[in-house]
Amino acid sequence: MTTELRQEINQAIDRALASALPEMKNLDRDAALTGDIGLDSVQIMNLVMEIEDDLDVSVPVDILSEVQTLNQLAERLESLVNESRS
Amino acid sequence: MSLFDKFQKLAEARSGLGQDGPAPIATPIERVDSATRGWIGGHEVILAGTNNYLGLTFHPEVITAGTRAMTELGSGTTGSRMANGSYAAHQALEAELAAAFGWPSAIVFSTGYQANLGALSTLVGQDEYLLLDSDSHASIYDGARMSNAQTIRFRHNDPENLDRRLSRLGEDARRALVVIEGLYSMLGDQPPLAEFVEVKNKHKAWLMVDEAHSFGVFGERGLGLTEQTGLLGQVDFIVGTFSKSLAGIGGFCVSPHAELELMRLASRPYIFTASPSPAVIASTRKALELLVNGQELRSSLHRNINRLYDEVKAMGYELGSPIPGPVMAIILPDRATALGHWKGLLNAGIYANLMIPPATPSGLNLLRISLSAAHTDTDIDKIIKALHDLRNN
Repeated sequence: MTTELRQEINQAIDRALASALPEMKNLDRDAALTGDIGLDSVQIMNLVMEIEDDLDVSVPVDILSEVQTLNQLAERLESLVNESRS
Repeated sequence: MSLFDKFQKLAEARSGLGQDGPAPIATPIERVDSATRGWIGGHEVILAGTNNYLGLTFHPEVITAGTRAMTELGSGTTGSRMANGSYAAHQALEAELAAAFGWPSAIVFSTGYQANLGALSTLVGQDEYLLLDSDSHASIYDGARMSNAQTIRFRHNDPENLDRRLSRLGEDARRALVVIEGLYSMLGDQPPLAEFVEVKNKHKAWLMVDEAHSFGVFGERGLGLTEQTGLLGQVDFIVGTFSKSLAGIGGFCVSPHAELELMRLASRPYIFTASPSPAVIASTRKALELLVNGQELRSSLHRNINRLYDEVKAMGYELGSPIPGPVMAIILPDRATALGHWKGLLNAGIYANLMIPPATPSGLNLLRISLSAAHTDTDIDKIIKALHDLRNN
């Protein structure tokens, strides 16, 4: 079930993708960011920084090494945003 | 399935740089004759990519000090500082570094990389925070990984962005260490230090400045950007390296907090490695003396910096830094153009650095030139002419 927060996060991810990686369109949200999509660590960190500013949340760097896909990133963002807004 | 399969993409990237001529990555330097002359691919070249900012690697007093120490004290210490590797000279160098800053404590590490690893992994831990500029050097990121602290990045050279991140931490910001660099080695740009100090003071956080590339270059006594901006009284830690302006190998952390001494008891990269050899310590002590009293060297370096920066800017090249500095990064549109420029300079008898992703920020392809006080006017003329020819061909 998609919650309102998850929708907000997905929209933030879309905006970040458009801004940080404009050449990449219609990405599979379950594709591996490094293996399938071919992003390097710097591209992933820049993408996450856009999302952090958009959602006003800080994402610890170690979380990035645990996240493989955009959907997994959205999941971790959901708990971070919930934590920061509680 | 091989353990080496994962390196395939890197191998492909390397072979994509071409097989003809000297390799642009890990370029073999056949011989070095002076601070500014070496041999690559059988030809003599001007060394303009060696971060030898004060040109002290062949200074007669530095060489004599190192040679004498090797003769008198042997080739190595064969042990760590915690065991048998703390000689009087190691302690003397630490006292001299501390005295240069007017601070109570300095710790010497075996490399600059280990200085960051040793300081960051120990100063912050569980339930504490590290806030890193997004363009931080790999040694800062690696120190963060070793630290168990929660690591958060902020936008490069953006104090307002740091402010937002520290605000989110609330009271916990008092347990946060902010890390910035005095000069960023890829683009050659500098931070707005006074604004960063203001933000860290507002949140009562701690501040470390890595002066690896700015030590010896900025400030009346060459102590770095912190000295030049009159902010030595506002920072908590400065780390630096011996392998650039000090012309040796090693690193240091210095602090106005006397408790820094306690770090020796807990820092694994300090404890579990051999201490620097007597020759390295002796040559570094001499180089430090020359650096602190090196106003003339700095004046020559900045003359070279300003001349090259103005000329290259006038040619229409895009530069990585809005202000001149010892590292001049030329931003080129793609990898092939950057590689073409690197090879063009080498053919003109000039060695610079090719810097490409993922080592560079924002996927940039760079030609990086580092200047030295030892470069002559003729050397700078040749670099200017070669860049001019490349621009117009």
